[in-house]
Amino acid sequence: MLELILQALFSGVLQGGSYALIALGLALVFGTMKVINLAHGELVLLAAYIAYTVESSLGVNPVFAIPLALLIVCAAAVLVYFLVDLIRQDRELNSLLLTYGIAIILTNAIQLIWSADIRSTGSAWFQEPVVIGPLYSMRSELVFFVVSLALMTGLWWWLSRSWYGRAVRAVSSQRDAAKLMGVNPRKTELVSFIVASILASFAGVALFSYGVIQPSYGHVLTVKAFIITVLAGMGSIPGVLVGALLLGVTEALTVTLASSALQELAGMCLFLLVLFVMPNGLFGAAGRRG
Amino acid sequence: MLRVEELSVCFGGLTAVNKVSLSVGTDEVVGLVGPNGAGKTTLFNAVSGLARPSSGRIIFDSVDVLRAPLHRRAKMGIGRTFQIPQPLHELTVRENLLVAQRFGAGQVDQQKIDEILEFTNLAPKGDREAAKELALTELKALEVAKALATNPKLLMLDEVLAGLETSGKRRFMAMLKELHQKFAVGILIIEHDIETISNLCQRVVVLNFGKLIADGAPDQVFRDPEVIKSYTGADHAGSR
Amino acid sequence: MKTNASIWVLLLVAYGAIPLTLGSNHYVMSLLVAALVIGGIALAWALLGNLGGMVSFGHSAFFGVGAYVSALLTLKAGTPIVIAMLLGGVGALLASLVMLPVLRLRGPYFALAILAYAHIFKIIATEWTAVTGGSAGLSSIPRFPTAFGFDFSGKVGSYLIILSVVLIFALCYRLIRASDYGIALRAMHDSEDATRVIGVNSVLLKALMLFVSAFMTGVIGAFNAHYINFLEPDYAFNGLWVTLPIVAAIFGGYRTILGPLIGAVTVYLIDQLVFKSLIPYGHQLILGALLVAMILFSPSGLVPLLRASVRRNHAAG
Ligand SMILES: Nc1ncnc2c1ncn2[C@@H]1O[C@H](COP(=O)(O)OP(=O)(O)O)[C@@H](O)[C@H]1O
Ligand SMILES: [Mg+2]
Repeated sequence: MLELILQALFSGVLQGGSYALIALGLALVFGTMKVINLAHGELVLLAAYIAYTVESSLGVNPVFAIPLALLIVCAAAVLVYFLVDLIRQDRELNSLLLTYGIAIILTNAIQLIWSADIRSTGSAWFQEPVVIGPLYSMRSELVFFVVSLALMTGLWWWLSRSWYGRAVRAVSSQRDAAKLMGVNPRKTELVSFIVASILASFAGVALFSYGVIQPSYGHVLTVKAFIITVLAGMGSIPGVLVGALLLGVTEALTVTLASSALQELAGMCLFLLVLFVMPNGLFGAAGRRG
Repeated sequence: MLRVEELSVCFGGLTAVNKVSLSVGTDEVVGLVGPNGAGKTTLFNAVSGLARPSSGRIIFDSVDVLRAPLHRRAKMGIGRTFQIPQPLHELTVRENLLVAQRFGAGQVDQQKIDEILEFTNLAPKGDREAAKELALTELKALEVAKALATNPKLLMLDEVLAGLETSGKRRFMAMLKELHQKFAVGILIIEHDIETISNLCQRVVVLNFGKLIADGAPDQVFRDPEVIKSYTGADHAGSR
Repeated sequence: MKTNASIWVLLLVAYGAIPLTLGSNHYVMSLLVAALVIGGIALAWALLGNLGGMVSFGHSAFFGVGAYVSALLTLKAGTPIVIAMLLGGVGALLASLVMLPVLRLRGPYFALAILAYAHIFKIIATEWTAVTGGSAGLSSIPRFPTAFGFDFSGKVGSYLIILSVVLIFALCYRLIRASDYGIALRAMHDSEDATRVIGVNSVLLKALMLFVSAFMTGVIGAFNAHYINFLEPDYAFNGLWVTLPIVAAIFGGYRTILGPLIGAVTVYLIDQLVFKSLIPYGHQLILGALLVAMILFSPSGLVPLLRASVRRNHAAG
């Protein structure tokens, strides 16, 4: 029993890595633009399907799909940005509806191109088991967990050190003041969209390499990313990482101790619990309340 | 009626209101002065419930209202105006008052609304859309009218005279002078102009950098060297 | 005067001309019933958006809960359908109670929370097999009975029921909008703080709108369950029950009462007759594109646009 629980904790943590990448993208765009991109999960899924295509048509490891995924997903994200930017009135509300519409388009386009069937990787190298003491994982899970950590470290470095990163943070906290300091908020918004889509591309390829994908999954991913940001209080990178690990672990434990059908329910209950008990998220950050 | 004790309000690192204590009686008209950024509006926000104090107490009618939500305070009789007029969008002037009366005072009384419209010189504009069709003087009058319609015991006026031209200002002054008697409200009024304050108020309170630096009769307070220094040293925007 | 007259004409057409001329055409009648179902949800959705200032992506939860509550009550407790339908609405209202903590959150948080929340009900309906029959679903849900010598279980009968339900809801919406509460809610839209400091309890008012909207959607869901006599979680809680109404409401104009209804009939018929033949699987893609186009080019919808052009023609003529 204990072994099972340990194993679930381990798998949950590994899964949390990709969740964190997805949630960070959502939070980054929300930070600069005050827009929740409801098509974010679909962008992740798009990357996953590109990985599937590359693997099945070229017969290579899905990792090699990353450059192509980056290209296409970034292009799609830039398009989303320009559409959102076209909104003239009541942006907070209309951007939700707009990105919801884009999400519908993407889900259906994915279904038209790749059909509604469930897909998963056939790469033997990725599915190879890796055993660490009593714990087991697929090689792909470990590889992408490390990649996620590296990306998050990179993001943290970029946000705190580079000029653009600091501009992004400035726009997030004090838009008008940032303008006065010579930061172009629109440029930083675009940059945040692109960075979010880079994270989404990696997360998508990761999801495909150790799980199953289907067209309706994008929507689920958006919801998960949102739950994580609520857990984290839309705050810092470490906050989002902890929120993501928490969700991953909760899901894995539910699958182990109850049933895989209840996996999503567990995440939702965690979410409602936090909303009721700590309306500002686990890590503070006021300003969400109306 | 209103007693504020050791009240502080912080925004991040900035202490906008710093341990301020003051009181306003039922039959008093009290002036609140101080340079821009002194924390006057923030004090109003804390009393009306829009800003959350970090410490201190707010007693209204012997009830601690610190934790009471905005709308409850309004119903208890705390009325206020906004420095930048905030008419209710999409509504006519009359509907503005109607909402204020229905929810703030509890019942609708058309006669009272007419009376308030008459008093604030808004009677001819009753059916105009408030947010789009009023001039500044009228918007400021609507602020007062809206607050009056909630049947307040305490009326907090935030720079209602600022930005008005001379004739509008004169009419507004006449209105303010009557307000206290006619509607039986205690008044706390933010105003930069010393003459106006001396003219209207029995007592004046001075804030500077969030701290209360004087509290007393106008002619005394405005002779206080510290007050004079705060005024001449920091205030550029005050009209005089 | 003129709008009154046109409303009477519309009523006459809806209750008289359509059943008399098209009543025997089952295909057309079923299209109309489905369009009115979408219209009803669109109306409830727009009420929440227009008066409450909230965008919901989770109305499929209320639709599904209403459907299941009413179906189970008639199947297991033998409750008369009319009462069961109302209780279906009450069930949806109770489901919306869980949303209350979310009401204190600002715009995007509310929208996403309710989206996340809709998932919960679908999972419960699937997993709670003892009561809901799980993914196998519920069948032979009682049909509408015969009353006043008229068989309401047929297409025409169902059409008359849903038409009446939707019109009653539209009337309720109108009454709410004109009430003191409606006026305060309208004010809150652009000046929330200013509305609150004059004594309006904004959270309570928003909660009331959520309740009304959830109740209406639940009743519509209940109607649909008795109309098609069959339920399964994937159907009752399908995202389409919110996607179509959103597109319809935005298309028609969500700040008006008739807009969502007109939008629903238009969008649903075009979707079924045109889009579906263009792309049999995935025709929602076009709905998504329509939503995007509306938000970008005419966010307040077609009804206000038409009204403005009619007014312009009047002025010109
Ligand atoms: N919502 C807020 N967030 C951060 N700082 C604020 C906020 N409101 C006011 N302040 C700051 O608090 C101080 C006091 O402001 P205010 O009360 O408006 O001054 P006054 O009304 O006396 O001119 C100012 O320095 C102002 O910048
Ligand atoms: Mg001020």
